[in-house]
Amino acid sequence: MIEARAITKRYKDGTLALDGVNFTLNKKTTSIIGRNGAGKTTLLRILSTQLLPTSGTASINGLDVVKAAQDVRNIIVSIPQESKPINYLSPLDNVVLYLSARRMRMSEAKEAAEKAIKTVGLWKVREKISDELSGGMKRKIFVAMAIASKSDVVFLDEPTTGLDPLSRIEVWSAIKAIKGQVILTTHYMEEAQALSDDVLMMDKGKILSQGKVGDLLKPFKGKVRVESTKKKSHSYKVGNTYISYIGKNEAEASVMVGDIIKPITLDDLFIKRGVELEY
Amino acid sequence: MNLNIRYILAHGWFTGLAAIKSSYYYIIANLCLPLSLLFVVGVLSHGELLPYALAGGLVSMMVTNSIQSAGELTQFRLDDRHQDLIIATKTGPLDYMFGEMLGSFEWSIPSILLYLALDMSYHLLTPYNLVMTMAVCILVTVATLSLVFSILSFVKYTRKSWAISMMLSTLLTVIAPTFYPYTYIPKSVLFVLAILPSTPAAVLEQGLFGLEPMSWLMLVILLAETVVYLFIARYVARWREN
Ligand SMILES: Nc1ncnc2c1ncn2[C@@H]1O[C@H](COP(=O)(O)OP(=O)(O)OP(=O)(O)O)[C@@H](O)[C@H]1O
Ligand SMILES: [Mg+2]
Repeated sequence: MIEARAITKRYKDGTLALDGVNFTLNKKTTSIIGRNGAGKTTLLRILSTQLLPTSGTASINGLDVVKAAQDVRNIIVSIPQESKPINYLSPLDNVVLYLSARRMRMSEAKEAAEKAIKTVGLWKVREKISDELSGGMKRKIFVAMAIASKSDVVFLDEPTTGLDPLSRIEVWSAIKAIKGQVILTTHYMEEAQALSDDVLMMDKGKILSQGKVGDLLKPFKGKVRVESTKKKSHSYKVGNTYISYIGKNEAEASVMVGDIIKPITLDDLFIKRGVELEY
Repeated sequence: MNLNIRYILAHGWFTGLAAIKSSYYYIIANLCLPLSLLFVVGVLSHGELLPYALAGGLVSMMVTNSIQSAGELTQFRLDDRHQDLIIATKTGPLDYMFGEMLGSFEWSIPSILLYLALDMSYHLLTPYNLVMTMAVCILVTVATLSLVFSILSFVKYTRKSWAISMMLSTLLTVIAPTFYPYTYIPKSVLFVLAILPSTPAAVLEQGLFGLEPMSWLMLVILLAETVVYLFIARYVARWREN
């Protein structure tokens, strides 16, 4: 279980990245969503003892991330945003090196690494240098680290950014193989939907909402999303597109040439809240 | 202090001996400068200063490899986020740096062997100065890597770190008395240059090889720099940021 109480982070240059954040995370997998600069990475780095908060407290399974940082480090794995494997080492060696940082015995580390490399589907390329792997394979190395660590809590910052749809699905199943509690950030709403039932939505350093995907989408019940190039009443302007949310039947009756009707996803929550905040 | 020996050994192995196969061309590239200068110094001095370029060349090579390792740590911090990954484990900055130092030393082994063979062919090697030379190599690796790591820790972009590494490389390997007798320069200049670990290291090598008077003061300076630079590196390592 992860608890944050009034976490604030102001960087040295004055940027207020987190503004009094409160939450409790106790589901198997939680997705943190939010626009670029919302504070997701800052939050994850504070929770995983890489960055100090300016004020406030946070704990992981009852251990304070500042006062008991060393104990926290025993039970967490944190995969940074855009982290890359050491390019001249093989997937297996990358995982073994990481496990040795976790003070695992070499023989035990090798065994755990091999098993995890198998689980994430990298067995065939386990001896190749990472430079020769595809982007998806590289990301899977980090998921393998998380699996092999057998730790209680795993933080993954944008684990699938930049991957093609198939690789993404492969990484998802690797993430599902992680035994501990998983906290991940993502810009892909279908990813949040596929992997987690607890979603934390952030904007400008604040938590906008938290809950199950279904609960968060309740305001959209019975509605569809209509994308149009022309302005409609109660529409949100995103770029040159006007988006409105109307009842399914009404949408079908009033559809105009060029309009696109789509089912509701977490994207819509995002569009609605994001756009509201923007204007 | 509770060092993570397992990590130090693993990091050393993976960035050291294990990396030789995939990055051997860097070993050759890093030998180009000291061996070229050995040639130039030899030609210009009609062979007379060749032993100096042998004594200093080894130091120069160790220093180049250490600077490269410090550069690698910068890449680990800024590009690969490997440092961030490690911070969230119970491995500390000293483990991390010692691992890279061990790797740097292991990685230098082929070049060390080459220099020792050359030294031997010029009858410069005795069991005593072999042992002392190894000690100097270790100290200069720790001191240089710490110094350069500290300087590079203020860099925010890898791009910049390349420029700084190149500059430091020249300062440490060419300006310092690695390729000329240290007695050729005024004492005052020598002591200014002594803030670069390659200076005391090269002076010691010239003394050990019987080329110039031995200066034990330089051993004290090298030891002090090793400790002080390591201490500084530990505190500017950006381990857990504010
Ligand atoms: N080291 C830093 N120094 C100063 N400001 C920073 C630093 N890191 C992040 N910020 C700022 O803090 C805010 C939050 O950044 P953060 O990286 O946490 O966002 P994010 O939600 O992870 O964004 P993204 O989706 O783009 O990864 C941004 O305004 C960012 O510019
Ligand atoms: Mg981020």
